[in-house]
Amino acid sequence: MSQQKKLLIIDDDPDFVEGLKSILVAAKYSVDAAHNPKDGFQALQSKHYDLLLLDIMMGRGAEGIMLARKLNKDPKLREIPVLIITGIREQIAFLFPGQAVHPHFMPIDELVEKPVEPKLLLDKVSELLQRAQARKAQVK
Amino acid sequence: MKTYAYFPGCSLEKMALSYHQSAIETTRMLGVELKELEDWNCCGATAYFHVDELLAHTLCARNLAMAEQEHLDVVAPCSGCYKNLYFARADLGRDPDLAEHINYALEEDNLHFTGSSAVRHLMEVFVDDVGLEELKTKVTQPLDGLRVAPYYGCQILRPRKNHEDVEQPRFFEDLLTAIGAVPVEYALRLRCCGGALILTSRRSALSLVRNLLQSAVESGAAVIATACPLCQVNLECYQKQVSQEFGTEFSIPVVYFTQLVGLAFGIPPKSLGIGSELVSTRDVLSYAAK
Amino acid sequence: MVPKPTFSEEIGSLLHAAHSNPLKTCIQCGTCSGTCPVAKFMDHSPRRVIAMINAGLKDRVLNSNTFWYCASCYYCTVRCPRGIDIAGLMYALKRYSIWKNRYQEGLVGPVFSETFVKTIMKSGRSYEPVLATSYLFTFGVPEFLQEAQTATNLMLKGRIPVLPPRIKRLENFRRMVRRIIPIGGAS
Repeated sequence: MSQQKKLLIIDDDPDFVEGLKSILVAAKYSVDAAHNPKDGFQALQSKHYDLLLLDIMMGRGAEGIMLARKLNKDPKLREIPVLIITGIREQIAFLFPGQAVHPHFMPIDELVEKPVEPKLLLDKVSELLQRAQARKAQVK
Repeated sequence: MKTYAYFPGCSLEKMALSYHQSAIETTRMLGVELKELEDWNCCGATAYFHVDELLAHTLCARNLAMAEQEHLDVVAPCSGCYKNLYFARADLGRDPDLAEHINYALEEDNLHFTGSSAVRHLMEVFVDDVGLEELKTKVTQPLDGLRVAPYYGCQILRPRKNHEDVEQPRFFEDLLTAIGAVPVEYALRLRCCGGALILTSRRSALSLVRNLLQSAVESGAAVIATACPLCQVNLECYQKQVSQEFGTEFSIPVVYFTQLVGLAFGIPPKSLGIGSELVSTRDVLSYAAK
Repeated sequence: MVPKPTFSEEIGSLLHAAHSNPLKTCIQCGTCSGTCPVAKFMDHSPRRVIAMINAGLKDRVLNSNTFWYCASCYYCTVRCPRGIDIAGLMYALKRYSIWKNRYQEGLVGPVFSETFVKTIMKSGRSYEPVLATSYLFTFGVPEFLQEAQTATNLMLKGRIPVLPPRIKRLENFRRMVRRIIPIGGAS
């Protein structure tokens, strides 16, 4: 039995965070949450996490993207696999018609749109964790 | 000759063309060149802040970065554009992460923002950069006895940029005095004209316009002077609608400060865009052509 | 473990003041409401809205017209004795309500903002005739006729553009925007 994996959610929607958390905790993950990008970045710096679940539209605007790019510049933090969970299409669909575009900022990242089916969520999380582990093994 | 990167803003292309024309004519006489930014884009107005502030700042940063390429300070005649450009530069200056992120977007247009170009309102160019003493030397037709209501409006003053007096400013009055006009004192000179509410919350904006017009007229002003295209349009073009809504009978001309300065400099009214207003400026002109 | 944030903290985060929510420092002095030129047209004055946010009355705040009636004159911001950027708060509430697609029925503000943003995306500059479509439909007949009369007069004076303006490097501009907002078919 492997060690319990630690996940961090950075999302400004308190209700959505509660929902995500209950699904992930039920699947035996340890889950922390930050409700804005500032607190989120601080949490990532002060504690080790195995995976990050990241929202896009927060604070002043699409700050999730800004945060992902910042993490990617940090040699240590860029190794965290990131699952971007966004409602951007609903939030500002009038801006551009079309789908949210996966920006691919981090070595291991994936994008899903809200609302997320619990099964899809858990599949994505374990897939990303495996990919991160494989990458780590490769580097070693 | 001092040269600025000139950011006219969307309104000055057509709706406020007379502001553009009079700005060019008057600054030329002061030995100032307004060099239009080659491919400027909208500053984002207020609407962009309703969606994404990072995007709003990006729009401004593109304009600022173009001015930096030319090593020129930026001058904006519209108070809304001025406020947006000013605070985009300030916010990027104090938040390196934000500046880095926006520069990443600017790469797509081969631009880079550093903050090296300062942002000025057109009126600051007259009052601070050129200076009123220098300006007075160009006055050939002082507007003696013309009673003018200086209308500051909002964003030229607020939010506070650095050191200026936001409660009791005098620079507009001083400018009018320098061209021989008589600035009248009236209570609402710093109050809002309603801005874009004229389109989105019409009744409330019309009531603000009505109060302003009333205050200016009661003070005995023959004309209202503005330093912002949105204020000019609200105060001038909606006088008829105010009258229909409130049963008033306003008919007071509303001009740009640059038009008054131009008249005092002896520039022909037509070159200052005079003739495109909805409320006649005949009485104002009689003071200039003596 | 952080507790679930209150509505006040949620709005505080939008102001990017994550570590100290400025709304909590409000002393309810009412300077903002006394200063606000539009307060009498609002469902709730700015002071009251801050009190409602701090009391967690989310639905009532979101259902009010207050922030969409803010004219961005910034008088409240420069006068607040606690230094709260109240106009900035109104922007944050507008963002919140646009993102959640939740606002009082019949308000023109959100529709106008969306039209404006779209117009700039298309051409890089603003164009009045397109913007007009977002508010004219809300007008009654007398207002419509007044507006049409004003527009005609402005047109006769050459103050309404016939063709929409367009910046030159529009493709670069659009790609630039997509780096900030990753949506809309970019790769």
